[in-house]
Amino acid sequence: MTTLPKVQGLSDVPALVFETFLEALRQAGGADDLIIRLRKALLEEKKFTERALKNAVFPEELLP
Amino acid sequence: MIRVESITISEFRGIRDLTLDFNEKSFAVCGPNGTGKSGVVDALEFALTGNVSRLSGEGRGEVSLKQHGPHVDRRDDPDSARVKLRIKIPSLGETATIERSLKNPGAAQVTPAEPSIIEVLRQVEAHPEIVLSRRELIRYVLATPGKRAEEVQALLHLEQVEQVRGILQKIANACEKKIGLLSEAVKQATDNLLRALEISGLAKEKVLAVTNAQRATLGLPALIDLAETTSLKDGMATPAPAQPQRIPKVQAIADIRGTLETLADIDSKDTARHIAEVISDLTALAEDPVIKKSMKREAFFMSGLELAEAGTCPFCDIPWELDKLKMHIKAKLDHLKEVSIKREAAEKKLAPLIIVLRKVKASMDTLAGYGALTTPHLAMKTAHECSTFCRKAVERLTALLPFNETITALENILKIPQTVLDAIKELEQVVAALPEPTKLDAARDWLVVAQERLETWRDVMRKNKTAREQAQRARQVSDIYAASSDKVLAGIYASVENDFSLLYSFLNREDEEKFRAKLIPSLGKLGFDVDFYGRGFFPPGAYHSEGHQDSMGVCLYLALMKHLQGENFTLAVLDDVLMSVDTGHRREFCSLLKEEFPNTQFIITTHDPVWLRHLKTEGIIGGKSAVHFRKWSVDHGPTRWDARDVWGEIEDYRKENDVRAAASLLRYYLEYEFAELCQRLRAEVEYRGDGQYQVGELLPPAIVRMRTLYRQAKDAANSWNQKEIIEQLGTREAEFAKLAMASKAEQWQVNVAIHYNSWDNLGKEDFAPVAKAFQDLLRAFMCVDCGEYLRVSPERNAAESIRCECGKTMVNLRRKSG
Repeated sequence: MTTLPKVQGLSDVPALVFETFLEALRQAGGADDLIIRLRKALLEEKKFTERALKNAVFPEELLP
Repeated sequence: MIRVESITISEFRGIRDLTLDFNEKSFAVCGPNGTGKSGVVDALEFALTGNVSRLSGEGRGEVSLKQHGPHVDRRDDPDSARVKLRIKIPSLGETATIERSLKNPGAAQVTPAEPSIIEVLRQVEAHPEIVLSRRELIRYVLATPGKRAEEVQALLHLEQVEQVRGILQKIANACEKKIGLLSEAVKQATDNLLRALEISGLAKEKVLAVTNAQRATLGLPALIDLAETTSLKDGMATPAPAQPQRIPKVQAIADIRGTLETLADIDSKDTARHIAEVISDLTALAEDPVIKKSMKREAFFMSGLELAEAGTCPFCDIPWELDKLKMHIKAKLDHLKEVSIKREAAEKKLAPLIIVLRKVKASMDTLAGYGALTTPHLAMKTAHECSTFCRKAVERLTALLPFNETITALENILKIPQTVLDAIKELEQVVAALPEPTKLDAARDWLVVAQERLETWRDVMRKNKTAREQAQRARQVSDIYAASSDKVLAGIYASVENDFSLLYSFLNREDEEKFRAKLIPSLGKLGFDVDFYGRGFFPPGAYHSEGHQDSMGVCLYLALMKHLQGENFTLAVLDDVLMSVDTGHRREFCSLLKEEFPNTQFIITTHDPVWLRHLKTEGIIGGKSAVHFRKWSVDHGPTRWDARDVWGEIEDYRKENDVRAAASLLRYYLEYEFAELCQRLRAEVEYRGDGQYQVGELLPPAIVRMRTLYRQAKDAANSWNQKEIIEQLGTREAEFAKLAMASKAEQWQVNVAIHYNSWDNLGKEDFAPVAKAFQDLLRAFMCVDCGEYLRVSPERNAAESIRCECGKTMVNLRRKSG
């Protein structure tokens, strides 16, 4: 058979998705502080609640 | 991540006391149904994860790990139910032990308790998928797309990915929804401001022109520009506190007219038609008991989803992992998609009515405010009531459920009480009767009201701007996240799809070499279609046999694991996963494991001794890397075909003068061992379609074959002129012949004294030499160094040598050419 290509292994698929997302956001002109806050929530603190993500997207801003 | 050196199981499931040495190599556990194979699998899973999936989760009813994990006789002593693993961590070059008891499944005792080792074990614990049973395997293949997506998502740990996607989308949707509300507020504030300014459009020049005209009346300097903070009444004296507030007659009249126009809107035929249409839609929904119930359930689940932020269910307080709880609720909501679409359609139709009601409420509040300024005060009670009615109607229409109350609220919208109109008329008369203000007062009133409404307008505009910016940001974040996760997952699925196709086509290359599969992710579902002999793509269960579906499942699992763990895919436990796959395809499966997963330790259970031999001959497992359970009892657990145990057991029976039992065990053991020997030596056995060979059909061919091999080996040595080897082989051959003669096995068919059917009639003293003779005979087939049975190599085509596992026995069978 054709030998399967070697892969690194995706032991943390969510982390890969989050990193890809943050890089895409950066390339799309996302503000640095927004990216830092999202990185903190998604990759460092791993907080996936609505409150945590809302705070990351709108820090200390009064939502309309 | 890890490889397993050994496992010791005590009082766990059906096992009393069992130690298996895997030696970090692939290992097979073979035995008929009910002999304890799956107990080993459960023990492995338990030691690594603290859980036994077959005793937990969906559909397990009242069976639980803690209650039913210990051996049935030790069910009240969960601490005695223990599993201990000795493991190797290749990445660290470390060895460790991990031990758990059912008293506290979550607490593993790790020795040494080094942080690096604990971290690796934590990762292993997070990957229970290293254990795969047939039941789980088929979930990947035959599940519905939605269910399959869940299974694959669980395997790839995508719950978090999907959770974040859902939340970001929800935030974006909420922001956009609020823009709609603010847009209406902007429109309303703009109308109010225009009415105060008495102009038709908010052009800066026009505003400045009308404002400066009023300012000129008061002798105030003209405003040159209209900036964000410009006050229209800049420089105007503030009225003294004691001075009573007056009704700005002109504005009040304009507001009263505006209110009447709004009420006329409600009273219009268009609004009546729209309301009638919405009522009709809602009535239809209300009359459908399924929809009605489903919408209630949807609202209930949506509330649950919003409230689920801690580690317990917000309704019943049962502990849940937050991720799993949200997935659970979301799955329920997904089932109500159709209801969701109908609800959204109804909400869309209600939206303009909600806007009108808010407008009426604001107008009524303004008029009530004027009423409070009249002398004597006009109570404007009906205006207040109308305002309250509008507020409640907005709340009701927004809530939507229950339908009957919403329908009633809609019907009442049309009925604007005459008393309201009368109160407005009375206010209008009072305002009209007010003395005309002086030019100065009129200009002052004009500037005060205009400034007030300008500030309101500015505030709403600011909020609207912020909302739009936030909505734009939230949508950008949500869209980019969705595109990024789709891209990553599509990449993973494409690779998995390709690897799966390669693996499966390898297994079935005889007739499905060009096999392809498609994994199609879409809206939380994962479609899985496979090629059927070039006739098109269909679901796996459509045309492929059960055996093919099983091999699809295992190939999909292996492809996913390879992508999930890559080089760390060092351990997999396959519990009878190829049950319905035929012999030929199992052989191919062995080749596949050997070629594609050389660094993975597979622990495989099977009830099929033929596949066990395949595993050995294909080199997946070594000669000593298997255990063959022969029976199981509730008192003793599994008993294996272990030479030491078997001969000891035979001797015990014999001493007890139970020759029948001793003879029966010897017969079964010889059947098992000579089947293995015939396989290894490539002996010629009369074929039986049912594969049920008796000892008399296996033993003589094995002896004949061994003698033939010795002759062939001597002949080969002679061709090479290896006199010393000829001499050694002669000695071995003579020894073998002596032992064969002692067992009288060659006379099997003619000598009733050695035929097993007659053993039962022997006395215990007569049976002893029979047992010893066969024990010695079996030894004659072994390597004197490693104690493993000899085998002919290669397994097919011309025999080239006789070998053993340790390599010390290596007898050439090939003659010198020429």
